[in-house]
Amino acid sequence: MLTKKARWVCGVCIGALAFAATPHAQTPEPTSGKAMPIKVAVLRITETQYRHTIADVFGPEIKINARFEPEKRVERLLAIGSAQLSVTSSGFEQYFAVASSISDQVLDEKQRTASVPCKPPSPTQADDACARQFIERYGERLLRRPLTESETLARLKTASTGAKQSGDFYAGLKLALTSLLVAPEFLFRVETAEPDPANRGQYRLDAYTKAARLSFLFWDSAPDQELLAAARSGVIHTKASLNQQLTRLTSSPRFEDGARAFFTDMLQLDGMENVIKDPTIYPKFNQSVSYSAKEQTLKTTIDLLVHKTRDYRDLFTSNDTFINRPLAAVYRVPFVSSSDWAPYTFPQSSERSGILTQVSFLSLFAHPGSSSPTKRGIGVYEIFMCLPTPNPPADVDFSRVQDSSKGTVRGRLLDHMNNPGCAGCHMRSDPPGLALEHFDGLGQLRTMENGTMIDVSADIYGVKLNGAQGLGKFLHDDPRVPACLVRNVYAYAVGRKTEKQDVDYLFDQAKAFASNGYRLPDLMVQIASSPEFFRVVVPSGVQRASSTPAAATAPLQKPGGVFQ
Amino acid sequence: MSLPFNRRSFLRGMLNGTAVCVALPVLNRFLNVNGSAFADGAKLPVRFGTYFWGLGLTDTPTGGTRWVPSKTGYGYEIMPELESLKPIKDKVSVFSGFRVIGDGRPNLVHWSGHASILSGVAPAAPDRFDGPSFDSKVADAIGGATRFKVLDIDASASRQPVSYSTRTGATFAMPETTPLVLYTRLFGAGFQDPNSGDWKPDPSVMLRQSVLSAVKDQREALMAGVGKADQVRLDQYFTSVREMENQLAIQLQRPEHCAACVVPTAPRETPRSATVDAVRANTKALAKLLAMGLACNQTRVFNFVHTAGISETYLAGESKIYHQITHDEPIDATLGYQPETSRLAGLVMQAFGDFLIELDAVKEGAGTVLDNSLIMAFSDTGYAKIHSIENIPMFLAGGAGGRHKAGQHIHTTGESVTRVSLTAQQLVGAPVGEFGSGSMKTARPITEVIA
Repeated sequence: MLTKKARWVCGVCIGALAFAATPHAQTPEPTSGKAMPIKVAVLRITETQYRHTIADVFGPEIKINARFEPEKRVERLLAIGSAQLSVTSSGFEQYFAVASSISDQVLDEKQRTASVPCKPPSPTQADDACARQFIERYGERLLRRPLTESETLARLKTASTGAKQSGDFYAGLKLALTSLLVAPEFLFRVETAEPDPANRGQYRLDAYTKAARLSFLFWDSAPDQELLAAARSGVIHTKASLNQQLTRLTSSPRFEDGARAFFTDMLQLDGMENVIKDPTIYPKFNQSVSYSAKEQTLKTTIDLLVHKTRDYRDLFTSNDTFINRPLAAVYRVPFVSSSDWAPYTFPQSSERSGILTQVSFLSLFAHPGSSSPTKRGIGVYEIFMCLPTPNPPADVDFSRVQDSSKGTVRGRLLDHMNNPGCAGCHMRSDPPGLALEHFDGLGQLRTMENGTMIDVSADIYGVKLNGAQGLGKFLHDDPRVPACLVRNVYAYAVGRKTEKQDVDYLFDQAKAFASNGYRLPDLMVQIASSPEFFRVVVPSGVQRASSTPAAATAPLQKPGGVFQ
Repeated sequence: MSLPFNRRSFLRGMLNGTAVCVALPVLNRFLNVNGSAFADGAKLPVRFGTYFWGLGLTDTPTGGTRWVPSKTGYGYEIMPELESLKPIKDKVSVFSGFRVIGDGRPNLVHWSGHASILSGVAPAAPDRFDGPSFDSKVADAIGGATRFKVLDIDASASRQPVSYSTRTGATFAMPETTPLVLYTRLFGAGFQDPNSGDWKPDPSVMLRQSVLSAVKDQREALMAGVGKADQVRLDQYFTSVREMENQLAIQLQRPEHCAACVVPTAPRETPRSATVDAVRANTKALAKLLAMGLACNQTRVFNFVHTAGISETYLAGESKIYHQITHDEPIDATLGYQPETSRLAGLVMQAFGDFLIELDAVKEGAGTVLDNSLIMAFSDTGYAKIHSIENIPMFLAGGAGGRHKAGQHIHTTGESVTRVSLTAQQLVGAPVGEFGSGSMKTARPITEVIA
């Protein structure tokens, strides 16, 4: 991290750059005879990225009332899944409806003075000059790069047709804005690579793609004016400019948005919105508990890792958290604050220690009417240790498993473990979950099940431990845990799963993370300033079109190849 | 002898006292005297839907089947888990003994079964299909003339909305999950009452069309230099844009009078719950709206999910969910099956009965919406306890406009599930000669059920 003074100096540099850059520079149309840019990834923007972008560009008062298409978790992360998703017809209908509603709000009579940078000679007639200013200004923010001339002309046509047909200049602008908001280049982050001038025959990510990667990683939003300016002038390709941007990105309060988005994804907290519990078994559960539980984990994580920049591993042992009234009822603790949320430290006797003992993890990885050591165990291994679980075998005999009205779940799972078809996996998957068995399917503390004392001892890879606090300490001390965070941050940042060739890089990053005291902001900066963050992976089947035969045969790379 | 009605009386929708809804392309034709077809012999438009429920039905290796009738052909006996089909048995064909043939690919639990039925290929990975689901092909063939090319509905109240309909194998449809949401999509903004006398084209629709042309203009530039997989995904995006255009174009046309269509009132918001009873009630309420959506000519193709492959439904107060019970409950030695699992399977099938009865309740022409539809119902497994993909229960329900010789039990010993899928596609007139790949490739529909 840079010192305060250095941050100030950098802020000034960036400001100067932004000022010096030419506004509304056109993206050059492809010229013949040169290798053309290629698109290395097409990532559908997430719901939070959409919301943050709209708030940044048009103001936080714009209401977004829509259902977003479900996202998809691949290799533990929605960020990787976003590179596999498209827009279905009902999804497009939703985007179309919300785009129209945003345009209506941005251009309503009260807002239009602020949002339109010019005044048309007549509000009842088309005016290309003013429409162009509007389209270019918002087009660049939404598409995260300047519009090409043909993109601008297409929207100008929409605006002028609309103005003529309705006799209202602003109605035309609404249509043009709607068309930007449903454009594939807005709904997808189209990542582009261009021939690298410094390395003949190789590609590098173009400046706007770099700006967007940075912005989405650190702020979960589209690039702001300063990042766009750094891309426009090309300085973003320099180490110095990149470092300045990183300082600015991490010292902004919006860094919290980026960190929240990352942890929502990694901790699978998106699942909390739809978690189901049987109200006859867990009468304290309701939507408010589920929303609060997600928020509690995010508040705890952000406070610890972003505000206090503490050691990542403390997340598994710290008793410091935040609670609100609905959660206080589940945790059976008093809530005396007059605010919605209040800091709270669990006493030792509560057995609560770290985020694994919060309602979010405990209820997410459980059944509607019971706890599930297997689900919790798999959750611990996959989320925090990056250890995948094989698919369950299809043909297994569970007949020996006893009914759940007797004994404890440990006894029932022992039947799994004694069964050769199940043992291989359950011996491994269940122990972390068994250590958490003092918490029921909602996360309420208990010591008995069906009149029997619950044993919370566990053996994880030969390490014997007891209860949630033992598990927290185990995770705190296991080097695979911070290494897994490094892997997750990198995969999240680049939107693709890590491969064999990443192993050495990730190993080095994990080492650096340890020597920096396991501080999250440092880790993110460290990754974003490494060349691997902008590495180009050429997808298979890319047509590297070129109009000259010489360039067409240039040995740029093999399909699926990787460039530094 | 001249017909007892003229074009005018027909367009008022009265035909021997029964309601008829006519889609746009059939404006210039007359129905025959039975109201089942046009006078020139062509059939009324047929609808197609899939209906999915999770966790199969009970057919144990020890011979304790609870759903496979012993009699084949017409007049099969009602088995315990199919009790709910009794009132409409003559409109439902039962298919038993069909299986997934993986050609060496593993049985991905709660996934390989329906992925194979819908895409014709045993999938390689547990989160995607290796090809499009065939309902998208059917939608391309018969879904273009209505406002929604296809509707996806999920009654399950699962953690994530569930749909198995996909064009790319990776992106699955976004389903409507509550009656209020489905009502709003079908009958909210953009709905034009076909029976309203004072229709005028909405000028704002034309303006919205121009929004889409600007997007489409940029297609070529966007597609340049894109990898193969990304191209498929962007293609799907542009397909969705075209479907929106089609929707807008339809809104600019006067909707045909449609006597079977009675616009329902908005349902109330219901609390979210995944109990067996709540999901059943949700299924029934959604089916009622869907039936009217079909009758009002808003769509001709739908996909309906009752419960997911790994179903989270449960009986209130029971700590184990249905899914756990299928695996954990021992087989009762005397009965030869799992009694609680079988009871739950029967309860889940009640929702399927409700669903069909709702479609059968809307009169249309000389029959019902169900008679003019074909629904292919199926599950992810056969015998759920062992994740079997042998003998996956499958049904074809509805008359398909007279093409389906319904009410039969067809039994095979281990033929591919894709034969039933192919039959369904051909019954609704999709131009498909063969379906599936590898050992599941078939060009043999089940001719016994095709009229």
